[in-house]
Amino acid sequence: MSEFWNPYAPPDPRRRRLLGAGSVLAVLLLWSAVAASGLVSQTRLPAPWDVVSAFGYLAWNDGHSMLLTATLWSVGRLLVAGMLVIIIGIPIGIVMGAAPQVNAALSPLVDPFRSAPVVALLPILVMWMGIGESMKIAFLFIGAVVYLIPMVRDAIQAVPQSYWIGARDLGATPWECIRQAVVPMAMPRIADAVVVAFSVMWTYITVAEYVNAREGLGQLIQNARRFSAWDQVFAGIMVIIALALATYRLMIWLKRRLYPWETQQ
Amino acid sequence: MSAPTVAAVPVDTPDAKSVSVLVKDIVQEYPADSGGVTRVIDRVTLTFDQPGINMLLGPSGCGKSTLLHMLGGVRPIGVRTPTSGSVLIDGVECHGAHDDSVMVFQRYANRPDLSVFDNVAFPFRLKLWKSREPEAQWRGRVADLLKAVGLADKAGLRPAQLSGGQNQRVALARALVLRPKILLMDEPFGALDAQTREEMQQLLINLYQSWPCLVVFVTHDVTEALLLGDRVIVLTTQPARVADDFLVSEPRPRSAAWQRSATAQGLEERVLAQLHASPGRGQVRVTI
Repeated sequence: MSEFWNPYAPPDPRRRRLLGAGSVLAVLLLWSAVAASGLVSQTRLPAPWDVVSAFGYLAWNDGHSMLLTATLWSVGRLLVAGMLVIIIGIPIGIVMGAAPQVNAALSPLVDPFRSAPVVALLPILVMWMGIGESMKIAFLFIGAVVYLIPMVRDAIQAVPQSYWIGARDLGATPWECIRQAVVPMAMPRIADAVVVAFSVMWTYITVAEYVNAREGLGQLIQNARRFSAWDQVFAGIMVIIALALATYRLMIWLKRRLYPWETQQ
Repeated sequence: MSAPTVAAVPVDTPDAKSVSVLVKDIVQEYPADSGGVTRVIDRVTLTFDQPGINMLLGPSGCGKSTLLHMLGGVRPIGVRTPTSGSVLIDGVECHGAHDDSVMVFQRYANRPDLSVFDNVAFPFRLKLWKSREPEAQWRGRVADLLKAVGLADKAGLRPAQLSGGQNQRVALARALVLRPKILLMDEPFGALDAQTREEMQQLLINLYQSWPCLVVFVTHDVTEALLLGDRVIVLTTQPARVADDFLVSEPRPRSAAWQRSATAQGLEERVLAQLHASPGRGQVRVTI
């Protein structure tokens, strides 16, 4: 235990997994104990086994899976919004990073939104776009793109100037310098920005599906809450957390595949 | 040294790699924190009119890199450079980046996502060079240069898989693949360890024999200057002025015996005396 207070000595993977699983198990045990003791009423805190059976009910009941349908809808919305974030947000971020005058013009419009209450925009979006799909997509898009654009800009600006000078010396046009020397260097950090954007969208998905929800995980949770089916609410929240985690893992894996040189540097 | 008032008449034959560079009365000043100006280069006039290795030797931070960057047309942002004076290449005043020269930096800017081969071939991704030569031809030349710098078997590796010296070899190959008339080297071996530096100096000598051109090589290493240079130009510091300018006729590679000879020792003492006479700070290196 001599390495206990040493931030530079991480435990070996086996021990790390053991510690992680142990604490999750401890919480589960405490939760079970509280639920079984009857100290908190069933209507306020569903027992873990109730959540598991609610999960089973949502996953398969009466010949169809509510959970699968809801998940597909939510993932679909997330993917559409995510594509828009990538197609629109990354070029804007690159241009802002590459041209300081564009940055000076646009950053007052973009940067403050990072700390703006995006949720408060929802009624405005409903007023402008109605209560259909486009409103939900737009909400996810805005929520994520205001994080992504500044991150992409910072990624571009973090590329050492020597790469730009080197390309310039070889006779590259300014645009070639950006495209051939700066952007390729910034790609791993741009990929990080996309990962963050998707995490942000998962946290906003329930809000996006709050209004006029007919499908989706947000609607599933909202519906269960209306009937005070707290076990289903818990199950729904856990599914969202699991999906967000899976998305994160997948994207990190993809990033390592696409930019293997980053970790070698 | 008196400044020639008329630029040398250029002999413009594209096949011959001869080029004339005239640095005329260069003054460079930067705004100082105190509100005044700091003069870093003070009326430097130099003529380079034949192929050869020219060493610009001066203490660290004396403004020699600034001078070199002017020759390459890479100018700092937000400051007028030069403050006065001009650089003429084949009689034409040089204002910005031009395709007669290629620069090799101390910080080799190799793209980490490209293979060694693609890094050397990088210039041919640019419009300027792509249109000048068919692909088969430049591919052959890249392969030749990789062989010349000893990286033929590493063509498929990425820069992160190479050592610092090998990365600098990639940068050298990328510069020479364009067959520049002028090769500008900004302390290229300054960050390498002693043994690698010696290997790289030897490599430069070999490469120069195959691809002779006008080399201007900035260094603060007296030993390096005497080992490589056909001509050594000694700059003082703050501001940089030409303190000395002499030729070294000893053929390369210069043996250890020559380096210990009275001639070499005499030159070294002469250089150090010039540098000590100048008032500014800054350091030079001598390896014994």
